[in-house]
Amino acid sequence: MEPLLILHAVAAVCAPALVRRFGRDAFLVLALPPACGFAYTLWAVVTGTPVASHHDWAPALGLGLSFRADALSLLMMTLVTGIGALVLLYCSRYFSAGEEGLGRFGGALVAFAGAMLGLVAADDLLLLYVFWELTTLFSYLLIGQDPASRAGRRAALQALTVTTFGGLAMLAGFVMLGEAAGTYRISQLVAHPPAGGTVPAALALVMTGALSKSAIFPFSMWLPAAMAAPTPVSAYLHAAAMVKAGVYLLARLSPAFGEAVPWRVAAVSLGLLTMVLGGWRALRENDLKRLLAYGTVSQLGFLTVLFDTATRGAALAGAAMLGAHALFKASLFLVVGIVDHAAGTRDLRELSGLRRSAPWLCAVATAAAASMAGLPPFFGFSAKEAAFESLLGGGLGRSATLAGVVLGSALTAAYSLRFLTGAFGSPPGREPTPLAPYGAATFLPPALLAVLGLAAAPFASWYGRAMDPYTATFAVPGHDAHLALWSGAPVPLLLSAAALAAGALLFAAGDRGARAGRLLRTIDSGRVYWALVRGTNRFAGQLTGVVQRGSLPDYLMIAFATLAGIAAFALLHGPVTTAGPVVVLWKRAEQPVVGVLLAATAVLAPFARSHIVLALLVGLTGYGTALLFLAHGSPDLAMTQLLVETLSLVAFVLVLRRLPIVPEEEQRPRVPPAVRAALGLVTGLVAAGAGVLAVNARSETPIGTLLAGPAERSGATNIVSALLVDIRAWDTLGETTVLVVLTLGVTSLVFLRRRTYALERPPAGHRRPPGRTYWLTATLPPGERAAVLEVVARMIFHTLLLVSVFLLFTGHGSVGGGFAGGIVAGLSLVVRYLAGGRYELAVAAPTGAGVLMGLGLLLSVATAALGMAFGGAPLRAFSADLAVPLVGKVHLSTVLLFDLGIYLTVLGMVQDILRSLGAELDRQIEEEAR
Amino acid sequence: MNGTIQAPTIEYALLSPMLIVFGAAIIGVLIEAFAPRYLRKSIHMPLTLLALLGAFATTILGAANGLPTSASAMGAVAVDGPALFVWGIILILAFVSVLLINDDEQFVAQAAAVPGSSDEEEAVRSGYAQTEVYPLLLFAVGGMLLFSSANDLLAMFVGLEVMSLPLYLLCGLARRRRLLSQEASVKYFLLGAFSSAFFLYGMALVYGYTGTVSLRGIGDALGAGSGQETLLLIGTAMLGVGLLFKIGAAPFQAWKPDVYQGAPTAVTALMASTVLVAAFGAVLRVFWVALGGLEWNWQPVMWGIAILTMVVGAILAITQTDIKRMLAYSSVAHAGFLLTGVIATGAAAQNAKALSAILFYLAAYGFTTVGAFAVVTMVRDAGGEAGHLSRWAGLGKRSPFLAGVFAFFLLAFAGIPLTSGFFGKYAVFAAAVSGGAVPLVVVGVVSSAIAAFFYVRVIVLMFFNDPAADGPSIAVPTVGTSAVVALAAAATVVLGVFPQPVLDLADQAASALFIR
Repeated sequence: MEPLLILHAVAAVCAPALVRRFGRDAFLVLALPPACGFAYTLWAVVTGTPVASHHDWAPALGLGLSFRADALSLLMMTLVTGIGALVLLYCSRYFSAGEEGLGRFGGALVAFAGAMLGLVAADDLLLLYVFWELTTLFSYLLIGQDPASRAGRRAALQALTVTTFGGLAMLAGFVMLGEAAGTYRISQLVAHPPAGGTVPAALALVMTGALSKSAIFPFSMWLPAAMAAPTPVSAYLHAAAMVKAGVYLLARLSPAFGEAVPWRVAAVSLGLLTMVLGGWRALRENDLKRLLAYGTVSQLGFLTVLFDTATRGAALAGAAMLGAHALFKASLFLVVGIVDHAAGTRDLRELSGLRRSAPWLCAVATAAAASMAGLPPFFGFSAKEAAFESLLGGGLGRSATLAGVVLGSALTAAYSLRFLTGAFGSPPGREPTPLAPYGAATFLPPALLAVLGLAAAPFASWYGRAMDPYTATFAVPGHDAHLALWSGAPVPLLLSAAALAAGALLFAAGDRGARAGRLLRTIDSGRVYWALVRGTNRFAGQLTGVVQRGSLPDYLMIAFATLAGIAAFALLHGPVTTAGPVVVLWKRAEQPVVGVLLAATAVLAPFARSHIVLALLVGLTGYGTALLFLAHGSPDLAMTQLLVETLSLVAFVLVLRRLPIVPEEEQRPRVPPAVRAALGLVTGLVAAGAGVLAVNARSETPIGTLLAGPAERSGATNIVSALLVDIRAWDTLGETTVLVVLTLGVTSLVFLRRRTYALERPPAGHRRPPGRTYWLTATLPPGERAAVLEVVARMIFHTLLLVSVFLLFTGHGSVGGGFAGGIVAGLSLVVRYLAGGRYELAVAAPTGAGVLMGLGLLLSVATAALGMAFGGAPLRAFSADLAVPLVGKVHLSTVLLFDLGIYLTVLGMVQDILRSLGAELDRQIEEEAR
Repeated sequence: MNGTIQAPTIEYALLSPMLIVFGAAIIGVLIEAFAPRYLRKSIHMPLTLLALLGAFATTILGAANGLPTSASAMGAVAVDGPALFVWGIILILAFVSVLLINDDEQFVAQAAAVPGSSDEEEAVRSGYAQTEVYPLLLFAVGGMLLFSSANDLLAMFVGLEVMSLPLYLLCGLARRRRLLSQEASVKYFLLGAFSSAFFLYGMALVYGYTGTVSLRGIGDALGAGSGQETLLLIGTAMLGVGLLFKIGAAPFQAWKPDVYQGAPTAVTALMASTVLVAAFGAVLRVFWVALGGLEWNWQPVMWGIAILTMVVGAILAITQTDIKRMLAYSSVAHAGFLLTGVIATGAAAQNAKALSAILFYLAAYGFTTVGAFAVVTMVRDAGGEAGHLSRWAGLGKRSPFLAGVFAFFLLAFAGIPLTSGFFGKYAVFAAAVSGGAVPLVVVGVVSSAIAAFFYVRVIVLMFFNDPAADGPSIAVPTVGTSAVVALAAAATVVLGVFPQPVLDLADQAASALFIR
C-alpha cells in the first residue's frame, strides 16, 4: 500500500514541473499513479490476496500505518483509483493548454487521489483521520481553483469550514472510541465494539464528521456551493470519491454500532430528509451542475439510509448503490463538462438542439441518467430493486423509511428526466446552441463509465457475492435482498414502477411540482450556515466590545470579579470550617478611631476628581497605617512609615504638576458606579477576610517574642534596628544597592538630554549684592514667593539636620536609625527646595547626589569588608564603649558606620529626586514657557 | 551573629543551565557599562547565543547523567524530567527568538526619548541602538528556567518576577508605533504587578495554612488537615489567579492581545512561546505537586476556566483585524487546550500520559508560534510591519513561498494532520478523554473548529484575494529571520511526520513525574 501512496505523492510533487514541461499532456502522466492503484486493486480482487500491512508511525500515541482491505475497501479502492485515472485523462483535454495554475491543480488532484486511496484502505482510526483531513485540504485547493470569483472563495471557505468542523468532531469521537476500546485498529474495533460510557457521545461525534463530509442534512449546503470547482473536480470529489468518505465511514462502523438505536434512527432519518430535500431542490435548479449536485446530495442521503438500516440486505443494496452512483454520476458530470466547454453554457434554459449536434454525447448521458433513474436493465435498477426489497417487512419505522425512499426515487427519476430534456432537448422557439468540437479524450471517460453502468448489470449477482464478506459482518439479516439483473420479486418491481411513474408525473407537472418544493426552503441549511457565521461574527464583535476595550480598569474589574467569584465558590464549595475565626475588634481606643479614618479615605477616593487629591488620600491611608503601628506599640515602624509617606507624597506632587490636574473627561463609565462600589467592597471583604482567617490560623508562638533575648545579648535594645543592621545586614546592603540603582534609573530618565551631574548653581550676580552671601537664595519671582514658608524654612533647616543626626546615633538603642535619619535630612532639603526654588539645592547641599550615594554605599561595603578583615565573616560588627567627657558613655560600633552609609545613601537619593523631578522639571517648564 | 549557619549544598552541575544564563546576563550588563557603543551589539549577540547554547548543552548533559531523585539547592529547585524537558524547549525557543531579535528595525533607538520629539530624531540620527535588549532577554530566560522548576513558592515567585520584569521593559521598546508599545508595556506591567500581588497573597495564605512554602511540604500538609480549609481554598484561588494570568487563561486573557500587538514582534515571539512554556511548567508544579491533594476542590473551577479560555480565545479571534492580535487570541485558545491536559489527572500512569502530552504540545506550539511571528516581521509597508489583515490580501500572489509557509503554520495551529499541531492536539485530547474530561474535549473540538475558521480565513485572504495595488512589501529577511522561519517550519513538519523521537523524550521526561 505504501509504495502506491508514495507514487501518488511523488507525482503530486512533480506535477508543476511536468505541466511546465509538457503542458496539459502532463495529466496523462499524472493519471499513471491512480491507474497503477487500479491495477493493484484488480489484482488483489482477482487473486484474492489479502491487502494488509502494518508499520509503526508514532507508537507512543498508538498510531500506526495500518492498511487492510476487505470487500468494502476494495470496492471503494476500485472506484477511487479507476475514476481517478479516468478523470485525470479527461483533464488532459478539458483544460485549455495555457491555463494558469494548472501545475498546482494537477498536483492537488493527484495528491487528493492518493489521500482518498489511503483513506479507504486505512485500518487505523487515526490514520483514517489523517487522510480524511488531507482530502479536506486538497479538496479546498481544488475548489478554490478559480480565485478570481467571490463565489469560489466563499464556497471554498464554506466547504472547508464545514468539513473541518466535522473532521475535528470526528477526531474527538475517534479518540473516545479508541480510549474506550483500548485500540485504534478499525478491524479490531469492529470485531469487539466497546459499549457504554462515552461510546454514545463518541458515536454522535463520529457521525457528525461523517455526515458533514457526505453533505447530509444539516450539512448539505456546502456541496452545491462547491460546484464553483472545475467540472472534473466535481465529477471526482463530489460524486465518486470524497463525498463518499462519510458514507464509507458509516458503512465501516455500522456493523459494530448499528445496534445502537439512537445512532441508527438519527442517521436514517437525516438520510431520508436529505434524500427528499435534495431531490426536490434538483427539480428547481437551472444550472446543470447544480442540478446534479443536489442529485448527489439526494443519493448520499439514500446511501446513508441503506447503510444505517444496518441489516445484511440493506448493506448489500448500499454497496451496490455505492458503485452504481459513482459510475453514473461521474459520467454525467463529465458530460456536463463537455457541454459547458463546447456550448459555452450549462444553463438548461439556454441549451437547445444538442441531441442532434452531439448524438453520441446524448446517448452516453441517456444511459447514465437511465441508470440514475433506475430503469432496467441498468445497474442502478438492480441496486434500487435490492434496496426496496431489503426495506420490506419490519415495523412502522421500516415502512416509513421505505415510503421515503420510494418518494426519493420518484424525485430522482423526475430530475433525471429534467436533466436529459434540459441538456439535450429542443424546446420550441429556441435556436439550436452552436457547439464546438470536443476531443476524444474528454468523451472516452464518461462513455466508458456509462457503458460500465449497463455492462455491470448482468454481473449483479456476482457483485453481490463479492460483497458477502462485508455484508456478513452485520448481525441482523433483515429482509432478504438479492442483487440481480432481474430479480423478479413482485413488490420491489411494483415499487420501482410506481417510483418511475410518479417521477414522470412530477416532471410533467413541471414548475408546479418544483414550486411545491420551494416551501421546503425554510429548512435550507445553507441559510442556517450563513446565519450562524454572521451570528458568530456579531457575537464575537459584541463580546470583544465588552471584554476587550483596552481599558485597564475594566480588565482589573474582570480579574477582581473573578477572584471574588472564585473565593465565594471556595467558601461555598469548601468544607465547613469547624471553628469560626476569633475576631478581636480592638484593644486600644485609638485603633477604631484610626480605622474609621482609614475607611473614610477609602470611601472618599472614588469621588476625588483630581490626581493630586487622590495622591493625598493615598498618603492619608499611609499616615493612618503609621498611627496604627504606633497604637500597636511599634514606634520604629510608625516613624519610618510616616517619613516615607511624606517623602513619597512630595515625589507625587512634584511629578503630578506635569500632568493635567483633572483627568480628561472620559465617556460615561460602562459599569454603573454602584456595581463598581459593590465589587470593590466584595474584593475588600475577600482580602480582609482572608487576612482574618490567616491571623487565626496561627498555631505557633510568634517569632517576635523570641527576638528580644538575642537582641539584648548583642547589645541592641532596638530589635528592628538589630534586625536591619545586624541579623539581616546582607539584605540591607542589597536593598541599599537597589535604592541607588533605582534612583540613578529614575534620574537618568529625566536627564535624558543633559548628561551632567553638576548641580545647577544660581547664575552669577543673580540678585545678590556683591560681597554678601545668603543661605537662602530665593530665585522665585517676587509674586510667587511665600514669605511664611521662607521664614519657616530658615528656622527649621538646621534643627532638622540635627534631629537626623540624632536619629542616626540613637538607632542602635532606641527609635531611629540610618534610614529614618537619612529621610529626615532629605526632608530638610525638601523644605529648602520648596521655599527657595531650584537654585537653592546647590546652596543647601553643595555635594552632588552621586557623591553622597557613592560614599554611602562605600561606607556600607567597607563595614562589611572590615568584618571580613578582622573577624572572618563579612558584616561582623565590632563595638566599644567609650567614655567621652561631658557626654558620658558612648556606645561605638561598626554598626554605626554601616548606618551612616545608609544615611548618606538615602540623603543622596532624596537630593537626586529633588534635582531631577524638582529642579530639572522646573527648568523644562520654564523652557517651554519661554 | 549567633551560631554558625550550615552552608547550603548547591548542585552546581545540575543547575548550570540557569547559572550560565544568569552569568551571561550579568556579563551583558557589564558590556553595556564598559564596551564602546559601536562594539556592543557585536559582543552581545555571540555572547547571548553562546550562553543559550551552553545552557542547552548542559541541560542535555544533565539529562544524560540520569535524573536526580530529589530536589536540588536545598529543595528550592527541582531539576526533574519535566523541568529538563521544559528547560530544553525554553532554551531552544529563546535561541531562535534571539536570531529574530537581531534585527535593528525592531527596536527603538533610545527608549527614553519621547515619541515624536527631537530627542528621538537625534537618537535615530546618531544610530543609537538599545542593546540592553540582550541582557534583558537573558534575565527573562533565566527567570523562566527558575519559574518552571522552582520547588518552593518563594523560589517560584522570584523566578516569576525575574522573568516578568525584563519582559515588561522589552515590550515597550518597539521602534514603530511607540505609543502603542509603551501602552502595552504599562498595561502588562500593571496587570502583571496585580497578578504577582495575587500570587504573593495566595502564597501567604497557603503558608498560613500549611506552615511551609515548599511544594512538597504543602502537599504533605494537605493530608493532615487543620480545620482552616477556607483559608487554604482562598489561598489556592489567589495562587491560581496569579499563575493563570501568566498563561493568559480567561478571564485574565485581556492583556495578551494588547501586549502582543504593542510589543516588538520579536519580543512577542519570545513571549508567546517561552513564557507559555515556563508558566505551564509552574502551573503543573503548583497544582499537581503542591495542591494535588486538593484536586476535588480546584478541578471544578479549572474546568470552568479551561472551557472559558478555549471559547473566548476562539470567539474573540474571529473579529480581529490585526494579525498579531489574532495570533494572541489563538494563543489564548491554545492555553485552554493545554489546561484540558492539566485537568486530566488520575493515577500515576494517567498523570504521566497527560504530562507527556502537555510537554509535546508545548514544544510543537512553541516552534510554530515563533515561526508565525517571524513571518509577521517580514511583511512590511511604509509604517513598519503591516499588521492589518486587509494588507495581507493576495500575499500568496506576491510571495507564494512566504504565504505558503505562513499558511502551513496556521494549519499547524488548527491541528491539521502532518503538522505538529495535530499530534499535540491529539495527545492532549487522548489524555483528557482517558482522564474522564470528555465534555472538555467536546468544547475543545468546537472551539478548534471556530479557530480553524479564522485560520482558514487568513489563508483564503492570502491566496484567493487580489493583492492591493499599494500592498506591503516583503522585507528581504536577514539571515537570522530566514533561519528562524526555516527552523520553525522544519520543526513543524518533523514533529508532524516523525513525532516519535520527541514523543519518546516527552514520555521519558514525564515517566517519573515531578520529583517532590
